[in-house]
Amino acid sequence: METIIKVQNLSKSYKADKVLDIEALDIPKGQSFGLVGNNGAGKTTFFSLLLDLIQPTTGHIENNGIIVSENEDWKPYTSSFIDESFLIGYLTAEEYFYFIGDLRNTSKAEVDELLAEFADFFHGEILNQKKYLRDLSKGNQKKAGIVAALIGNPEVVILDEPFANLDPTTQIRLKKIIKDLSAQKNVTVLVSSHDLMHVTEVCERVVVLDKGQVVKDIYTSEATLKELELYFER
Amino acid sequence: MTTKQFLSLEWKQFRRSSFFEKGLAIKILMILGALYFGGLAILAGIGVFFIFKKAIPDQDPFTLINNYMIYWVMGDLALRYFMQQLPVMNIKPMLLLPIKRQSVIQFLLLKTSFSFFNILPLLFFIPLTIVLMVQGYNPLMAVLWFVSILAISFSINFLNFILNKNTTAFYFVIALLASFIGLQYFNIFDITPYTGVFFNSFYEVGFTALLPIALVIFLFKMNYKLLRKNFYVDGAVQAKKEKFKNYNLEFLNRFGTLATFLKNDVKMITRNARPKQVLLMSFLFLFYGLIFFTQDTYKNMPVFLAFAAIFVSGGFLITFGQLVPSWDSEYYKLMMSQNVSYKKYLESKWLLMVIGCAVSFVLSTPYIYFGWDIYAMIAAGASFNIGLNSFITLYGGALNRVPIELNQKAKAFSNTQGFNPTQLLISLPKILGPMIIFYVPYKLINFNAGIIALALSGVLGIVFKSYFLKIIENLYQKNKYKTISAFSEKK
Repeated sequence: METIIKVQNLSKSYKADKVLDIEALDIPKGQSFGLVGNNGAGKTTFFSLLLDLIQPTTGHIENNGIIVSENEDWKPYTSSFIDESFLIGYLTAEEYFYFIGDLRNTSKAEVDELLAEFADFFHGEILNQKKYLRDLSKGNQKKAGIVAALIGNPEVVILDEPFANLDPTTQIRLKKIIKDLSAQKNVTVLVSSHDLMHVTEVCERVVVLDKGQVVKDIYTSEATLKELELYFER
Repeated sequence: MTTKQFLSLEWKQFRRSSFFEKGLAIKILMILGALYFGGLAILAGIGVFFIFKKAIPDQDPFTLINNYMIYWVMGDLALRYFMQQLPVMNIKPMLLLPIKRQSVIQFLLLKTSFSFFNILPLLFFIPLTIVLMVQGYNPLMAVLWFVSILAISFSINFLNFILNKNTTAFYFVIALLASFIGLQYFNIFDITPYTGVFFNSFYEVGFTALLPIALVIFLFKMNYKLLRKNFYVDGAVQAKKEKFKNYNLEFLNRFGTLATFLKNDVKMITRNARPKQVLLMSFLFLFYGLIFFTQDTYKNMPVFLAFAAIFVSGGFLITFGQLVPSWDSEYYKLMMSQNVSYKKYLESKWLLMVIGCAVSFVLSTPYIYFGWDIYAMIAAGASFNIGLNSFITLYGGALNRVPIELNQKAKAFSNTQGFNPTQLLISLPKILGPMIIFYVPYKLINFNAGIIALALSGVLGIVFKSYFLKIIENLYQKNKYKTISAFSEKK
């Protein structure tokens, strides 16, 4: 299968402190890719590098053949939700969705169509609220951010800790959404999580980071959860 | 928890605030600024007596001062409405600790007494009281008067928190203040002698001083009660939720792809506390010209008229523009990873500033009253603002990496957000530039030549617009990572 994300000799250091060091990592198109690791393992650093929010110390990441730190052409087909700083607090959820839609050349009608698909995911707490995003609960903010990342038919979707702060019902729905994205729409989905169960359930492939290094690279099977639990029990 | 521990927390908060994290140059500047304002207040306190004595020799200066006190009370209340905020947010962590609510609230209220707004009156009224004593007024009664005034100052302090951002009360005070000044100016009705009797009585009668003292105690108690009742995470401690407002912004669609950003910026300005404050400031800039245009001294120094003209139409450009990328600091990562082109982003900000200038220019039409020369100067200034100042401001913005909390009002004096030496340097061409562009042809040829040169400089800027934008874009690109990391720092 065609590779979409290609990592080469990537490292990030803050002074003498090396927080990420990945020699090579290829992610094929349409794969659902999970990243796990303890706090400080380098998950968010990796995603930030992928989105060109920080500069790599060495090496580079290619997104569909484009080196992300040199050219911005990866932006039209890549979208992400990392944390609340991706939300515009003074907009309502609808206004935010339409704003993202505008940026991604998606008409209001198309955005509405997409939102309709997520009616049960929103659980009636996001749309028509007459409330600004900053006044929503953390969980609802997250829902809005995740759905916004799906606007405009992106080919690569990056979600940092999407399951944290969500209620159980929403977690189950989100798992289905992610699976569908990669299985039916051939979207490459990258998620990170602290929850081993969710990740093994959703992702075809799980990579374990520890102190910035890839220590495990597993194609998920029935044994994966056990294997991961054993690893983290140390 | 003891007062000592509270104080140590306060000290840490003070020591570790962003103020002290700034560079040395800024610290010196800030200290100089504080000394300047403090010194000004002391000098005014010493001088005011003699100024009144000289201006109206046949009346008792002290009585005159008392007459005008009403303006101080109202002005102070209005100013505090803008600048002073009850610092309740910091007490959230205290709610869970085994501390008596009573002591937290009392400490909180007492703490507000040490704000800049309460110290400034002290600096003014202490010298004034000393002058009064030296001038042969009864020392005991003068002290009594001083205590009363102090009590009034603190009453304003506590009243402000009770009103707690009540806009109606604010506009009421402003309207009252404006009408009193207006009525007095046009010799229709002068309120000051009537209120003066009240302020005078602290000195003349003495025991009326009990009134403001009772008032300050009453207001303190009321504040205490109010806070005590609302001392829950869903009460006073919580940041206020704003009601949702919506407007039809479809008319902005004519700006094509820039409309997306423009609409967003309009919402940003109207729905957040900080930009609203800036908007009001920029409105006040419109009146800046009055200081210069009403005085004959400047008639013969038209270069100062050029200086003033820049501010009349450039209020929004200067106050809003200098913080340009910072306005989006809360969601800068989104902007940088979304499908946004820097050029479009910058162009939309430029357009917003141009619109701001144009609106200010239209609002400045009444300046025609001061003559067509003045108005032509303002027009030329607006042209410079639109054509050149806007780009200089955007360029300066690229060097500005201070995050802004959109929904927090700027605090007087502790506010160094978006202020740094580079910013200061970049403001030099903004102010000196138009003065020089005007002055050289004015000296060499005549007044009109100066105005034409100033206006043409703006047109030149628009002609080279895409070139300037390209330069600015490159600078923003170069600083991208630094800006992202600075904006994501905890404030």
